[in-house]
Amino acid sequence: MTVWKTSMRNFLAHKGRMALSAVAVLLSVAFVCGTLVFTDTMNTTFDKLFAVSSADVTVAPKGADAEEDAQNGVPESLPAATLEKVRSAEGVAAAEGAVVSMNVTVVDADNDNVGATNGAPTLAGNWTRNDLRSMEITSGHAPRGPTEAMVDADTADKHDLKIGDELRTISQTGDFRSRIVGIATFTVTNPGASVVYFDTATAQRELLGATDRFSQVNITAEAGVSDARLKRNVTATLGGAYKVQTAKEASDEGRADVGEFMDVIKYAMLGFAGIAFLVGIFLIINTFSMLVAQRTREIGLMRAIGSSRKQVNRSVLLEALLLGVVGSVLGVAAGVGIAIGLMKLMSAAGMNLSTDDLTVKAATPVAGLVLGVVVTVLAAYLPARRAGKVSPMAALRDAGTPADGKAGRVRALIGLVLTAAGGAALYAAGTADKASDGSLMLGAGVVLTLIGFVVIGPLLAGAVVRVISAVLLRAFGPVGRMAERNALRNPRRTGATGAALMIGLALVACLSVVGSSMVASATSELDKSVGADFIVQGNQRIVPGAEKAMRDTPGLAHVTGYKEVDATLTSPDGEKDTDGVTAADPTYAEDLRRPTTAGDLADAYGTDAMAVGSDYATAHGVRVGDTLTVAFKGGRTAKLKVAAITDDDTAIDQGARYLSLTTLRKYLPADQIPPNSIMFAKAEEGQQDQAYAALKKSLDAYPQYQVRDQTDYKQELKDQIGQMLNMVYGLLALAIIVAVLGVVNTLALSVVERTREIGLMRAIGLSRRQLRRMIRLESVVIALFGALLGLGLGMGWGTTAHKLLALEGLNVLDIPWPTILAVFAGSAFVGLFAALVPAFRAGRMNVLNAIATE
Amino acid sequence: MTSAVSIPRQGSAGGRTAVAARARQVVKAYGAGETRVVALDHVDVDIARGQFTAIMGPSGSGKSTLMHCLAGLDTVTSGQIYLDETEITALKDKRLTQLRRDRIGFIFQAFNLLPTLNALENITLPMDIAGRKPDQAWLDRVVDTVGLAGRLKHRPTQLSGGQQQRVAVARALAARPEIIFGDEPTGNLDSRAGAEVLGFLRRSVDELGQTIVMVTHDPVAAGYADRVLFLADGRIVDEMLKPTADAVLDRMKDFDARGRTS
Repeated sequence: MTVWKTSMRNFLAHKGRMALSAVAVLLSVAFVCGTLVFTDTMNTTFDKLFAVSSADVTVAPKGADAEEDAQNGVPESLPAATLEKVRSAEGVAAAEGAVVSMNVTVVDADNDNVGATNGAPTLAGNWTRNDLRSMEITSGHAPRGPTEAMVDADTADKHDLKIGDELRTISQTGDFRSRIVGIATFTVTNPGASVVYFDTATAQRELLGATDRFSQVNITAEAGVSDARLKRNVTATLGGAYKVQTAKEASDEGRADVGEFMDVIKYAMLGFAGIAFLVGIFLIINTFSMLVAQRTREIGLMRAIGSSRKQVNRSVLLEALLLGVVGSVLGVAAGVGIAIGLMKLMSAAGMNLSTDDLTVKAATPVAGLVLGVVVTVLAAYLPARRAGKVSPMAALRDAGTPADGKAGRVRALIGLVLTAAGGAALYAAGTADKASDGSLMLGAGVVLTLIGFVVIGPLLAGAVVRVISAVLLRAFGPVGRMAERNALRNPRRTGATGAALMIGLALVACLSVVGSSMVASATSELDKSVGADFIVQGNQRIVPGAEKAMRDTPGLAHVTGYKEVDATLTSPDGEKDTDGVTAADPTYAEDLRRPTTAGDLADAYGTDAMAVGSDYATAHGVRVGDTLTVAFKGGRTAKLKVAAITDDDTAIDQGARYLSLTTLRKYLPADQIPPNSIMFAKAEEGQQDQAYAALKKSLDAYPQYQVRDQTDYKQELKDQIGQMLNMVYGLLALAIIVAVLGVVNTLALSVVERTREIGLMRAIGLSRRQLRRMIRLESVVIALFGALLGLGLGMGWGTTAHKLLALEGLNVLDIPWPTILAVFAGSAFVGLFAALVPAFRAGRMNVLNAIATE
Repeated sequence: MTSAVSIPRQGSAGGRTAVAARARQVVKAYGAGETRVVALDHVDVDIARGQFTAIMGPSGSGKSTLMHCLAGLDTVTSGQIYLDETEITALKDKRLTQLRRDRIGFIFQAFNLLPTLNALENITLPMDIAGRKPDQAWLDRVVDTVGLAGRLKHRPTQLSGGQQQRVAVARALAARPEIIFGDEPTGNLDSRAGAEVLGFLRRSVDELGQTIVMVTHDPVAAGYADRVLFLADGRIVDEMLKPTADAVLDRMKDFDARGRTS
């Protein structure tokens, strides 16, 4: 009981000193809980949507997948006659045919895409009774006849669409125009899809290319007939040729697709929360170490009057427990706030999420609390043990125990062994032949070197701080010298504080090296091998209308189509694979110059010929002149002669197997030929600029496609990778913020610890300004120490990771020095910032109180 | 007797006054109303230049407060304090800090040295902070006087308590301040080490012409001074010139007896 009382009193007495540790726990727990609440809420939103929009039983063509288009770009469909057959099944109250296509782009009169551009789909279909389950018409009426359309209210709002406005729908089967006659509003939360409705005949004709087909049949059960029974009846009536699903099965399927995606987001974010936790551990260890050091005499007294080691130990752990509970409880609450903030952020980005769906599962606060408390108590364990070891004699001695020399040597040994093992693993990763082996070694190397650096951090602190000080602090004279000495006086503390910053910055450095190398490699690859002047691509495969517009553009020397084709390939050794083939115009050989290891690439575009990649050729012993069996999905099986083997030491089209469109057409019926995934064009000599403008103009009507010349393409690539890096940096900011809190914490506690020294210095004439500068410089040195270690480590990781990427053809190593130097300089500012409050408080200390402190 | 203004204001030494520091009607009070405690009650003091002055008095008499105020470490409630002709009670923190740095030396009872600096660095610290170069000849003489020549590279933790106080004395002397304040400088030392330190203080007055003010409750320490001021209840109650330890002790006993009977 007394243990509890002393812990409680100590905790309250030092609440200021505990505050930053509590904030660190709070932030980490909040991030974990925020992630869980956010992803759970997203899942709830989709669950509700799927649950309400699935009919009792649906019949769809076998192999239809809501997420993917059919190979030929026209949605899979079933004959309209199926509907009549279904109606005859027992237990069917009603059945209606539905048309739905995701392979569409809808534009307004100004040719602006009214669909979502953030990855959410555009759905076009017929308006059915089933849609009334999730929507209601809020103005106008349902579409009737070939020129009428209805859009969802969110899309109408976002793009300022009104009744009477004209829409153009671009699908694989052609373009068609219609006028908006109605607006329907979702009765559940629609996360972001844009929906356009037509009447049934129009939808069939324009989206499926046939008036006698449906995408699926939605069936309503008679009262008292269960979905499962209805499904059995329908299956019995139709036979096994169709995919028949109950409402639950259909919504589960949809959820599984979304769930996978949500899990990726969830675990990525939890990973970053984990890093923040790791950094927070350093902060907590430091806080408790310093509190224990400051309380050495008090603990000695407790021991002298009869407290057992265990009691002392336990009293410190109890304080940690209190800290963990307070931090975690606040963290859970803040987590819900973060989730709501994220939802608002997503709304701003065009994704609708409603706080009505806010889902806080029981597991969320439990996970947050358990994690926060366990991590805090574990982090406090070492300082607690040290407190237990304080001898009763400490009560009689002056405060401050000298560093333990032996522990230092053991630590150095362990640290060096770990770092060396990590270095060896990184070396092994860098020299690995196979990416899979290499990434395992890379992972091991990263973890080992990180732990190694953390362990030897205090030893490195001595040397590194001296070097940094020699370079930077010279100019500050005696104040600089005192700052250096202060940073050096407790290497363990400086080491742990710096290490916390090191972790975040190491990841930043590593990713910046990888990202920048990716850009540099891709750019150099593009320069080296891309001969095409223009590249056209978008989030819908290229519809025939757009292809025609492109081919009709003046000033172009040639236009190349590029199709990805489903096929099963059988090599002469009997091995089969379903990686498919690439069919292109022969001009593709000019658009993308691929060196060959054997044969001539141009020959591969001959009839009944093809090219394979060198990796495949080596693996299966394929040589020029060999014959491969290619079974085209939806077409015939061909025997194609290998005319060339392309070198796979490249980042573009690695492993692609080329054949000509002519060959493809010979084996695949016209209605099965897939649209181009991407197209290339080359301008006539000297017509570059005019052709670029002309091409852009001809594709004006198709805003879903981007036309880029090589310069723009490279820029786009750079922007994309830059965007991705920025997002990751943003998430790492959490860990860095916690690390900065750690620097603030260390300084604040040091200032308290050095109250008498500060008083003495002020008494003998150190000005407030000099005192503040001294603390700021100490902070800067600690921050730069962390930055130097982190950047060094991170560049090592990045360089190794790049070696692995080089196996995938990303050969160019580019260390982004401006970024690295900016981070280093930024760390100095972080140091200045962290010292702001501690320096201010030190300056405010009353000289006399400072001297009088006992 | 509430005043110790016994020295003529105009002196002869190099145009400076013979008074190194003076206090006029200094009041230091804590709290207000019922809980008001007066630590210094209209004190007038002149500190003679080139003299070793001791301030004595029982615990709570205000002797430390008086020294802190004279040294510009503490603020007064009312009254003026002058260092030479500078009224330090009118100075803001920045100027006050400079004044302490350039014109005053300190020796505290304990914790006089920065643990991160070695003995020499501690000695030159006030000058380093000011960005001044120490006068090497003077520094050598001071170091020699306090007998630390062999220990200049030692850190405070490697020095004995007596040695640490001698480093503190050297630091106070090295910058050639107008006046040195000592707050029980021998309070933590055994009698031999204490005698050593007091001997150095005496010699620095005699040989170097230093002005020293020392707060103490030890009659033996006071015996080294030229003049002893006795404080009680925030007032100067007595003064003794050319004191001896025995005389001081007798006087203190006197106060005690009076204190008990009154």
